[in-house]
Amino acid sequence: MANFRRFRPDDLNKLSKCNLDPLTETYELSFYLQYYAKWPSLFQVAEDQHGNIIGYIMGKLESSPDVYQFSEHYLPWHAHITAVTVAPEARRLGIGKLLTEQLEVAADANDAWFVDLFVRSTNHKAITFYKSMGYSIYRVVKDYYGDHSSDPTKDSEDAYDMRKPMKRDVKKEHIREDGKKHEVDPSDVW
Amino acid sequence: MPSYSRYGRPALKNSVDVQLQTAFSDGNWPSVIRLADKRAKSLKDPYYEAIKIAAESQLDSAAEQCAVLVAIDELIRQKTVPDLDTIDLYEWATQDLLADLEYAETLGPLRARWVKANPKSPLAVQCLQSCLEYWDLVSAQQIAATLDKTYLNSGDRRYMFWSIILTFLLSISPQCTEASRKVYSMLVLRQLERAADTTESSEKLSSTDRGLLTEEECYLYYRVLLKHGTRDDFVSRMQSQRLGALAQLKEKRKPLFWEALDAFESWGEWDRIYDLCNQALSLSADGGKPSFFACDWQVWKRFAVAASKATDQEAALGQVQDVLKKFTAETASTNAMYKKNIRLALVETTFQLPPVLLNANPDHGGMTPRVVQLGLFLEQYFDRLAAFDDIKGYVAQLSFEEAKCFLEKVLPNILGEDTDPIRQIILKSLECKLRYLLTTCPQTLSHYPSVVDGKEQDKDYRCRFCSNLTNLPCEHCLKKIIAAAADVYKQVATDKKLIEAIPKLDKDPRIDLAIVMALSLLKLSGLRQTLSDVPAASALRDVNPSLFLQAVALLDMQLRETPGDTGLRLLLVQLHLLLGCASYAHQLWIPMDVKRTIQDALSPLFFDRISSISPGLFQGSRPLMEPLRSYYSNCMRDNSPLRIWDAFSSGSYSSILDMAEYDSRLRRSCTLMMTLVEERRATRSFGGKIECDIEDHVLVSHITGDTTLVNATDYGSFPNLESHHGAPVQDLVRFGPAISNERSHLAFLSEQYLDLILFKYPKDYKLSRANEVAIKDRNYVMETLSHISSSLTDFIHSSKTPQGLTGPEMTYYTVLSLLSAGLLTALTTSRADPLPKTFSLLTSSIKSAFGGLRTTFLTPIPSSSPLSPQSEAFYALTDMHTMSYVRDTALAIRHSAAFVIAFHEKELARDRSGRSSLHKDVIAEMKALDGVASKALGEVKARIQRLKEQLGEGGWLDRMLEWTFGREEDEVSKAVSQVVPTEAVEEWIGKVLESWREGVKGWGMVRME
Repeated sequence: MANFRRFRPDDLNKLSKCNLDPLTETYELSFYLQYYAKWPSLFQVAEDQHGNIIGYIMGKLESSPDVYQFSEHYLPWHAHITAVTVAPEARRLGIGKLLTEQLEVAADANDAWFVDLFVRSTNHKAITFYKSMGYSIYRVVKDYYGDHSSDPTKDSEDAYDMRKPMKRDVKKEHIREDGKKHEVDPSDVW
Repeated sequence: MPSYSRYGRPALKNSVDVQLQTAFSDGNWPSVIRLADKRAKSLKDPYYEAIKIAAESQLDSAAEQCAVLVAIDELIRQKTVPDLDTIDLYEWATQDLLADLEYAETLGPLRARWVKANPKSPLAVQCLQSCLEYWDLVSAQQIAATLDKTYLNSGDRRYMFWSIILTFLLSISPQCTEASRKVYSMLVLRQLERAADTTESSEKLSSTDRGLLTEEECYLYYRVLLKHGTRDDFVSRMQSQRLGALAQLKEKRKPLFWEALDAFESWGEWDRIYDLCNQALSLSADGGKPSFFACDWQVWKRFAVAASKATDQEAALGQVQDVLKKFTAETASTNAMYKKNIRLALVETTFQLPPVLLNANPDHGGMTPRVVQLGLFLEQYFDRLAAFDDIKGYVAQLSFEEAKCFLEKVLPNILGEDTDPIRQIILKSLECKLRYLLTTCPQTLSHYPSVVDGKEQDKDYRCRFCSNLTNLPCEHCLKKIIAAAADVYKQVATDKKLIEAIPKLDKDPRIDLAIVMALSLLKLSGLRQTLSDVPAASALRDVNPSLFLQAVALLDMQLRETPGDTGLRLLLVQLHLLLGCASYAHQLWIPMDVKRTIQDALSPLFFDRISSISPGLFQGSRPLMEPLRSYYSNCMRDNSPLRIWDAFSSGSYSSILDMAEYDSRLRRSCTLMMTLVEERRATRSFGGKIECDIEDHVLVSHITGDTTLVNATDYGSFPNLESHHGAPVQDLVRFGPAISNERSHLAFLSEQYLDLILFKYPKDYKLSRANEVAIKDRNYVMETLSHISSSLTDFIHSSKTPQGLTGPEMTYYTVLSLLSAGLLTALTTSRADPLPKTFSLLTSSIKSAFGGLRTTFLTPIPSSSPLSPQSEAFYALTDMHTMSYVRDTALAIRHSAAFVIAFHEKELARDRSGRSSLHKDVIAEMKALDGVASKALGEVKARIQRLKEQLGEGGWLDRMLEWTFGREEDEVSKAVSQVVPTEAVEEWIGKVLESWREGVKGWGMVRME
């Protein structure tokens, strides 16, 4: 059983089900609070009947700095998914999907063109999940990650920058079908 | 922000010449002082004087450093508008002097004064930001109000809301005087009501109107209304078609809806909850289908509970079912989580049905609608990881007949025709857990008379499942559960196909089976929650050690099989702390990677009381508490809540309120106090240097006796199979009671006491006017002792204290409280006056309390122990905490005696007449106490030496094996041996022994003086 609501700082004392899982990163307090301070509607949690957090999503709203306005890599006003996690006991129940949908509602409410996120190119499970929700690969960021999740002989891994258009993008101008062919360097990502 | 980053150097005015600019940016302070002085004289510009003063503050001499304070004081007195660049300079210069400078009385008002004079300056916002960074709410509110007034008709609404939220924050802050609190509360309420009325009366609000427009503004309004408004106002505003909870929900704004439900529940307004949930769940999505936006578990639960409390219960519950039906019709296409919420809502609604509708047909043998619904739920979800937690609360509510029917008729049929072996295993595992749960439910037992046929009975109950006479819980059932779980475990472990199927499951069923077996063993062993009403700390003193050891060995083996299971790991950390194996518990703790933000909530699970169990752990290469200390230092570097300006600048008003509340709680964290106290105790154990008096420590200097310290420990990941009728599992396996406000204050005060009596002037410190200093010292000591003594007494006698301490802790704090009172009497009674009788009463109480602790310490083996020779070592090793407090208490007594004698000698030296020296009986009594304490320390030393020798002897493996499984195999140990191979037990014993040896080695380095 679960409730879906906005994050509140007290939830940080109830994160053990999610954050003791080795796949979930624990950040500094200022990182969580920055998101809560700036984009509270894009920080959503799922809690169980005892108030334990069994999933959360953190996102932000931004555009590239004005100085890049004429760059081909300029990103207009959009929402970005920074982190999404679901506790092991709450997986396979669609909680990740619901959290992402709630973030998309907030992105639409804030007039974002699209929602984007980065995912390791070898994380097929996550890629399939996001594709099922309407996300598509917009570009490949070469050697974005400084390590490789499955091959210890490699010291880097590509990221897929995946996007889903929001209501504002009526003409679907901010997505492309051949995103896999568009490779960029990490220095082109701001 | 001022023209410098908070921790950087400010930029000087552009008009300042390059030479001075360069010297300033290079930090060449002597040059800056010389050049600025020169410019000040030649240009007659006071700004250069300010540069000079700011530069002087960077020098080593205290007099020069403080010149800036004098300059600020002068600016305040002048009542003129100060120069903003000068304020910036002074703010930077006083960063390290903040303890001596109350920002809210100095720089804050100066900034507010400047803004009043320059309200349209863009720098006014920077002044607001500065005041917020120092959390000077009074000045910040004044600045915000000035800005709001200035930009009243500008259309920039953020000034209005900054002013409102700061007025609100001030109205609930200790910074507000009582006289102003009412005014500010009223003011903020009126401002928001006016804004709400503007919204209500406008057809369409434009972004320049002073109404409530955004979700955050509406949310702020209701938070303020809840705090300062009346209940009727809140209720009536909630009905609004524009700003009410339902209206906001329709606009996809959920927080207000939650806020309303919480408020109504706290007031017991169930009719309103019913209406609100009914309306929310009846909202339609596109195409007329029900909207799932409010399909949260709490909404369904509250809807069902509210219906059960309605006047027309049947009709109300009928409506719940009607709404549920609409959702059920859509479940095929909906999200799995919502589907589950709906299924559980059906269960919840059935459990809310009035008893008249629930009466089981006697012919059906307990097959009530409740049991049927649970069965239907499990048909869908029995194989899911959360299945047990989902239904646990409901199963615990079943009557015995229902529970029996559920276990015997419903569960076995869940799989129907399905013969998949792994699914059968999962079901059997769930059944074991449910059987265990029911042993914790009183309805499964019936009272049995204490005297039957003239004979006294030692069992209080008869188990309704197995009909045996028993105590709580039923031992026969627990043994049957162990045997059943062991059979299933063995079945899995010996079947290759089943093992291969495990990775496809939510969870390895062996983990649950091992946990249910271990918890049953722990219950059978007699393990109970440790409280201060037992003299020794060790929970193992009165348990059957074999059963306890079997439980730990079993879980340890399981963790090696499934190292990723957090619940299992947390249990083992706790159990090894109980066993006195702190270094092994630490090894188990480390892989969980408890770091950064989650430390506050999780660290007590390992670090609480750690210095009393194994001080040797603090001797590692990296200071044990360093990550925790750094975490708190980073979070509390500023007086303001972290990232608060981000929330202001983003218009996140609800975030501001929650962040301020969270920050206040974090600064009052019991874990924070634990961090400092544990480290100080360990440092003192090894004769290390303690950084500063605890009261002066920057992380806790704000804590006073009135501060309520908060325990926020997160037990969410513990595998809790207990029902709500008994204590949760963490209370059973934790080393003593959890951290608490009372224990944290006692620890804080005890450290203050030790700081006082252990204080010594540095060797190279030369006292001038020794006599005057001695009188000041004496007054300080009296004042401090008086405060510590009265606070210790208050906390010791708080009704909550006994349940928050172990026995040895209770003795230690009691003795410290008596010592502080004794010292106060001793030091205030002159030699010529008769010594008050209270003094001898206090010292005899100290002797009696300490004597009790020593007796416990010296007789470690309980009379009922079934262990073989050498068991003395087992009980001693599992209760180092008691030994630690014998040492700490003895040292506190010795230091107190030394303090009194030194005081006496100092007074003798100061006043040769001997009139101010202490009473001879005081000296004699303190020496006697010192003798008792010295003897106790000798006993502690001897204990450590003896343990070292005993652990160095051979035969431990066999001895431990015998302790674990006994000499003769009974049904329980037979079942456990089926699951845990001997090699696994031997491997675990090796780790336990190694950890004990490490622990004793650490104790060997602890100083006894």
